[in-house]
Amino acid sequence: MKINKALLIIVSFCFIQFFSSNCYSVEPDEILQNQKQELRARNISKNIRCMVCQNQSIDESNAPLAKDLRILIRNKIKDGKNDAEIYKFLTDRYGDFILLKPPLRSSTFALWFFPIIFFIIGILIVFSHSKKSEKNLKK
Amino acid sequence: MRKQLLIIPFVLFLLVLITFFYLLLIERNISVISSNLLNKNVPKFQSKSLLKNQNFISSEEFGKEIVLVNFFATWCKPCRDEHKYIKRFSNEKKVRVIGINYKDDKKKTIKWLKTLGNPYSDIPLDGKGIIAIDWGVYGIPETFVVNSKGIIKYRHVGPITKKMYKKINLLIKEIE
Repeated sequence: MKINKALLIIVSFCFIQFFSSNCYSVEPDEILQNQKQELRARNISKNIRCMVCQNQSIDESNAPLAKDLRILIRNKIKDGKNDAEIYKFLTDRYGDFILLKPPLRSSTFALWFFPIIFFIIGILIVFSHSKKSEKNLKK
Repeated sequence: MRKQLLIIPFVLFLLVLITFFYLLLIERNISVISSNLLNKNVPKFQSKSLLKNQNFISSEEFGKEIVLVNFFATWCKPCRDEHKYIKRFSNEKKVRVIGINYKDDKKKTIKWLKTLGNPYSDIPLDGKGIIAIDWGVYGIPETFVVNSKGIIKYRHVGPITKKMYKKINLLIKEIE
């Protein structure tokens, strides 16, 4: 019985944690009337780093700067700017650091391709080892 | 030959470790992000001025002499701490200082300047924080050094300390 209670608490805790990660900071007065435009704004906001907290997107952050940026993005959408123009506006001022997903450039080459290179090297090592051990078994 | 190849992952791992240790040991502040506006023209903006009855038009204010641009607010404690150094730039070094008043109350700012002294030649108002975004500001106080051609040469995030005051002074001399 005691175990069941403990299990219930753990499961409830996990349940709360799971849904808490889906909390957003967009306030009602920020939301655009046009649903398509609002969806675009949300998608852009999810890719923009909060420069104050640095580990959250501006969509999740409560920082005043994050709110200013959310409003700015919505105003730009209302003005008819496309997504690329909005991203350019932000990166021109804050650099690529403001993007949560770093773009592929010569400076970020290692970041994008080293995991794949290491993975291939790992597979090759395992493959050569297994071949060797097969040969040894046959002998 | 194959046995020798096995050393490669260990060497790479060692290199990654050395890089991490190097980054840990060198003196750097990871919370400070370098400005993307360095060596670029100052952003163009227009805003109401706290000190004058006319609008502050950036294109008319930069490009003549070295200017220090300081984002400040009365509600920001570090701004109060650095104020003595901002005054020294203006009074002792005769550097023109423009203070951009970030999301603040006009009356409080006037009172603040009366109490602490006013080192600013002009104070454009940034009530909604839009000018700050244009300058890539992410936490006040922030101070920019703009050369006589209107190009941003340096950005300091956080309050100006004695050490920073000396550093910025040297930089101004270099630019001159």
